[in-house]
Amino acid sequence: MSENESEALGYNRRDFLRGGSVATLMAMMGGVELFAQTNEVPAATIKAPTIKIKVAVVGLGAWGREILGTLGRMPQAELAIDAEIAAICDTYKPFLRRGASAAPAATQTEDYKTILDNKDIKAVIIATPTPSHKEVALAALKAGKHVYCEAPLAGSIDDAREIALAAKAAKHLAFQAGLQMRSDKQRLFLLPFVRTGALGKTVLARAQWHKKTSWRATSPNPEQEKALNWRLNKATSIGLIGEIGSHPIDQAGWFMNALPTAVTGFGSTNFWKDDRDVPDTVQAVFEFPGDVRMIYDATLANSFDGEYEMLYGSDAAIMMRESRAWMFKEVDSPLLGWEVYATKLKVFNETGIALVAGASKPPPVDAKGQPIQPDPLTTTPLFYSLSNFLLNAAELTQAAEDYKSSYGADDVDGLMEELGKKRRRASAGYLEGFQAAVTAVKANEAILTGKRIELKPEWYELQ
Amino acid sequence: MKIRTVIAGNIAFLMLATAGLQAADQMITYSAKPGSKMRIEGTANILHPTWQIESPIIGGMIEVGPGFPTEPGQAATPGRIEASGKVFMSVRSFKSVESDGKPFSDRMDEVTYEHLKETQFRTINYKLTELTLKEVPKAKDAPYVFDSVGELTIAGVTNTIKMPVNILPVVDPKTKGLEITGSTAVKMTDYKVEVVDINLGVGHIRTGDEVKLVFKWLLVQKKAAAAAAAAK
Repeated sequence: MSENESEALGYNRRDFLRGGSVATLMAMMGGVELFAQTNEVPAATIKAPTIKIKVAVVGLGAWGREILGTLGRMPQAELAIDAEIAAICDTYKPFLRRGASAAPAATQTEDYKTILDNKDIKAVIIATPTPSHKEVALAALKAGKHVYCEAPLAGSIDDAREIALAAKAAKHLAFQAGLQMRSDKQRLFLLPFVRTGALGKTVLARAQWHKKTSWRATSPNPEQEKALNWRLNKATSIGLIGEIGSHPIDQAGWFMNALPTAVTGFGSTNFWKDDRDVPDTVQAVFEFPGDVRMIYDATLANSFDGEYEMLYGSDAAIMMRESRAWMFKEVDSPLLGWEVYATKLKVFNETGIALVAGASKPPPVDAKGQPIQPDPLTTTPLFYSLSNFLLNAAELTQAAEDYKSSYGADDVDGLMEELGKKRRRASAGYLEGFQAAVTAVKANEAILTGKRIELKPEWYELQ
Repeated sequence: MKIRTVIAGNIAFLMLATAGLQAADQMITYSAKPGSKMRIEGTANILHPTWQIESPIIGGMIEVGPGFPTEPGQAATPGRIEASGKVFMSVRSFKSVESDGKPFSDRMDEVTYEHLKETQFRTINYKLTELTLKEVPKAKDAPYVFDSVGELTIAGVTNTIKMPVNILPVVDPKTKGLEITGSTAVKMTDYKVEVVDINLGVGHIRTGDEVKLVFKWLLVQKKAAAAAAAAK
């Protein structure tokens, strides 16, 4: 890859290698202990002063409960925030009861508006069915709450645009779309690696999600069952490509620093023959600039090989599974000096080089100097995504208080301008959430019609 | 003679009374406004031999008395100026940056807050106690040079510091203000702040004791007491 090509990807290879310098090289060497052995026991992890923040979770289906569980693990990760789950909300009482077991101290409510009236609650996490994202998100932003809204932002481009524009206007609030890969430490580690050309020229991307499950929820109440199964109805759902595919498709574009230019889709209901009108098996081919295509498939009818993402380049391919990644080199690709020392893994007949974020850093140690193994439940993309959101929210809240105490509460414009400049931890913002929703909505349209749809650049603009 | 004395005495009384009134309302207050920056620069042992943290928010006010130049190029006499002031900066508003201003490390920020005992002492404070005009500028757009004495409080510990400051009166159609710039070196151990000595991912980092405070503080003039009184 030439310097010009890497520049187009937003990274300059020289700067990447020089600016991060030794830190970068160490990170790239993956799995190699580079520090001189000393007798001194490294200092224990400093516990930073914590910022307290009260948060509410609206929507307590399976994913909402996953969010509750993840929030509950934050104290053990010794983050700089102390997130208290102050309230939980769902219109379906069984979900509310199940959510309460994960957050017993939280106020329970079936009406999200009571949460918005609570001045002590600063942040709201929205995990409701996609069709209701807009109502809750707009109301929460209007009430001055920081908002984390699960992806896809909405089931229509108009709704996604409304949410994104409201978030854009609320400069003093943290808004994050639930594209958690954008906060994942492993992906963030891989990003400059890919963009500076370690794979050569990117030629192909692929992702899959295979899980045998019906997606159907049961309820003794027929009306409630319809509401619970909103994902199976094309009037309320953008199907597998939207609810699941949003994440790897956004990730591929993020790595390639490009938006797709067209999508062709296919869908069929191969196995779950019930009253659903949403396909249980889909494929989509996304066209990206430079003649690169991404092939995505998802099925509810088979679990083999689960979910993973691939990027293929002329020198190497990268596989990403959960929070792990491997690089598979071409026999004629140049030798990267560090790979001699890297951990290798046999995958079928291929040898993969483990790419591990933070592997070269000295691990945290206990009082006896023994390495402490990280808790896998505190190193998931969702964990990083939620913790970054809460840190951003807490810091924005703090910054607003600092500004008002220094310059008075009347200078609203100045406050908004100042907060707009605040550096925020890695996350998907309103623009990324909106653009991912545009892609998902159009891809679903392609799947349902079996057609190729050109994705116009102006559709991705937020005005 | 007697009448003239009485008149002279009355005039003298009026002049004294007027002078007193002028003295009272010649105290001018300036309040902090956005656009300021405080930068703390230090040294370390490896890889990043210099480090810096910045805050874009400096709050507070100063009050100055007669003889203080409020407009660019105003005539002024070197010497002590009646002045007082209070400055505060939130510890959490400081963020680590590269030398070119780009963000550096969230982890470094956390270490900084911990060392500055942020949970107990949320602000760095400065109280101005003396201000002396040393040098009148030769050009209208050049600052006045002052010597200042004040009390700097970091992590709950207070020390008296002396530092030169440059003060540039700023006038635009709507407001009058000041741009105050300066720098001073302090030792963190004088404030019972331990040097950073920690593994920070890329190696063992030990910071130097001496740091340099570099600031630009913008203020806007509040309505003079006389104007407020006249409005009554």
